[in-house]
Amino acid sequence: MGAGFAAVGLRLVHLQIIEHGELSRRAERQQERLVKLEPKRGTIVDRRGRELAVSVDVDSVYGVPTEVGNPRPVARELARILHENPAELERRLASDRRFVWLSRKVDPVRAERVRDLDRSAIGLQTESRRFYPKKTLAGTVLGFTNVDNKGIEGVELWYDSMLRGVDGLVLAEKDARGRTVFPGGHGFQFRQPQAGKDITLTLDEVIQHIAEKELDKGLAESKARGGVCIVMNPQTGEVLALSVRSTLRGRGAFNPNEPKQYRPEEWRNRAVTDAFEPGSIFKMVTASAALEEKVVHPQERIDCSAGSIQVADRVIKDVHRNGVLTFADVIAESSNVGTIKVAQRLGKARFAKYLSAFGFGRKTGVDLPGEIAGLVKDHRLWSGVSLGSISIGQEIGVTPIQMAAAYSAIANGGILMKPYLVSEIRDPKDKEGRELVTVGPVAVGRAVSEETSRMVRQILQKAVETGTGQKAKPAGYSAAGKTGTAQKIDQRTGHYSKEDYVSSFVGFVPAGTPKLVIVVMVDSPVGVTWGGSVAAPVFKAVAEQSLTYLQVRPDDLGGRMLLVSQ
Amino acid sequence: MNTRAGNIGSFPFPQTRSSNLRLVLISGFVVLVLMLYVGGKVQIMRLGYQIEELEKQKRDLERMNRSLQIEASSLSAPGRIEDIAVKRLGMVRPSKENVVVVKRKKADAAGSELQSPAK
Repeated sequence: MGAGFAAVGLRLVHLQIIEHGELSRRAERQQERLVKLEPKRGTIVDRRGRELAVSVDVDSVYGVPTEVGNPRPVARELARILHENPAELERRLASDRRFVWLSRKVDPVRAERVRDLDRSAIGLQTESRRFYPKKTLAGTVLGFTNVDNKGIEGVELWYDSMLRGVDGLVLAEKDARGRTVFPGGHGFQFRQPQAGKDITLTLDEVIQHIAEKELDKGLAESKARGGVCIVMNPQTGEVLALSVRSTLRGRGAFNPNEPKQYRPEEWRNRAVTDAFEPGSIFKMVTASAALEEKVVHPQERIDCSAGSIQVADRVIKDVHRNGVLTFADVIAESSNVGTIKVAQRLGKARFAKYLSAFGFGRKTGVDLPGEIAGLVKDHRLWSGVSLGSISIGQEIGVTPIQMAAAYSAIANGGILMKPYLVSEIRDPKDKEGRELVTVGPVAVGRAVSEETSRMVRQILQKAVETGTGQKAKPAGYSAAGKTGTAQKIDQRTGHYSKEDYVSSFVGFVPAGTPKLVIVVMVDSPVGVTWGGSVAAPVFKAVAEQSLTYLQVRPDDLGGRMLLVSQ
Repeated sequence: MNTRAGNIGSFPFPQTRSSNLRLVLISGFVVLVLMLYVGGKVQIMRLGYQIEELEKQKRDLERMNRSLQIEASSLSAPGRIEDIAVKRLGMVRPSKENVVVVKRKKADAAGSELQSPAK
């Protein structure tokens, strides 16, 4: 008996004194758990504070494999509720880890059913999930995040470090039943998560909706493969709407709430990532360069009667035989022959200078991922035909956003502005709502003089009033712009296709005091392919509705005005 | 103390009683302190649970508030509003003929209140 007491005594001494340190550490590990607190991702709102991307709290289901016992029935039961693969759940629950995720960011109803199971080995952890309340609206601009709230595309990716915030950390105690109890005591660790910053876009939700709706309508009518519509404030470079559509897989627009349902080409922002041959909309650049260099006057008469022109080894034709036209009419009627004749007076080096002045061949710097510089060859490498081709918008690759910036320069008096999408970044903790960063307009440089821009504006206005862009004229407002119908390169033959076109219209409204620059680009329309028939009506609809929404006074009502006294 | 058996000395009882009383008092005090200590601990525990419960309630309410805000945000999407205006309420965009621009007359041009139509 004495020996027994001695043995118990020795064991006590061993447990209480010798192994005390290790055992108390093990107890602590069992009673405490390290909980990672996910920060709230910043909100993205439009220019009037309307929410476009928000974060909501949702539950994620986790398992503790060491406590689960037989994983098969548990996995089956959970798979039914969570709509997950039972074999995969079983594999995770059978692992030797202390913690495994079973399903992340689940539906509230499903989370409630898991909670009702009341199993000690299965738990729920609150996490934050990104939600886009306006669904497809501005989907390609906003982009999306992955399950760990990391930005993957669009503004979410470009401003990820600002939006994401900093993870928090807490060491919580558990009682015998595994419930979290009052955290505290010796060595208690706690780090508050820091919420991400809120971002205000330059986009206007309503103009964005108008652009998307009218582009969709235009694409449906022309059975086109895709399209882009950009609305920009020419005075500042603020992007008010940016719509990118792809109809390739016959599905609706990209919905960032369900990114897995789409392929990368459906969420890619083609307004900045893809270059296209602009065609006749590029004649604005040729006209600006020629007028700035004074090699031509708007009223100078140019003989286009031949209907074609030999440039090196290539013959470039006009669509219609035009006769003798003033230079203003050369642009308004979109004569290739007249434009090339004037470009030849400029020469390669002088013309190339204006390509650069309007920002072609380099990135605009817009705050979106994946922007490309376009394709502009050094003028020293141009072939004999290059000057003529480029002057009518061939042999050059531009992005829609570059086109918007270039036309903005003409609309605002000659200054090339940097396009931008984010105007403010705020810290949500700051009760006074002060901005951390305010982004203002950035002038890149002067493209042409004010006088030249005025002359080009008048020529472009003529193109809408009497030229190829008549279908772009919005009711009640004057407009200026240029149509474009560019043949695409046939991938099989390497030559210009006779069926595949990019139809476009770029212009601004009202013509006298431009408030909006609008770019409409329609990729591969079927049947009627002219920019003046396919893209111009979209321009007209977007311009009319946006100007009414912005309460811009109509400037062309044909005398229907009321005079009132004070 | 004198008895029939003679003087038996002083009776020891009162002395024993006072020392026992002291023992009882001390024990009582110790028990009281222990009870207060344990009670305090229990109270802390109970408050801890209460705080956790209230925080959960707060979180749930905040979550509900947030989801209602998001629902409001979803319901006010311009596409939905336009759809209701056009399809359910039969609203149309004003045509060019229905738009009249009202221009303020110059101060020196006094006369009738309205001149219509005038350029």
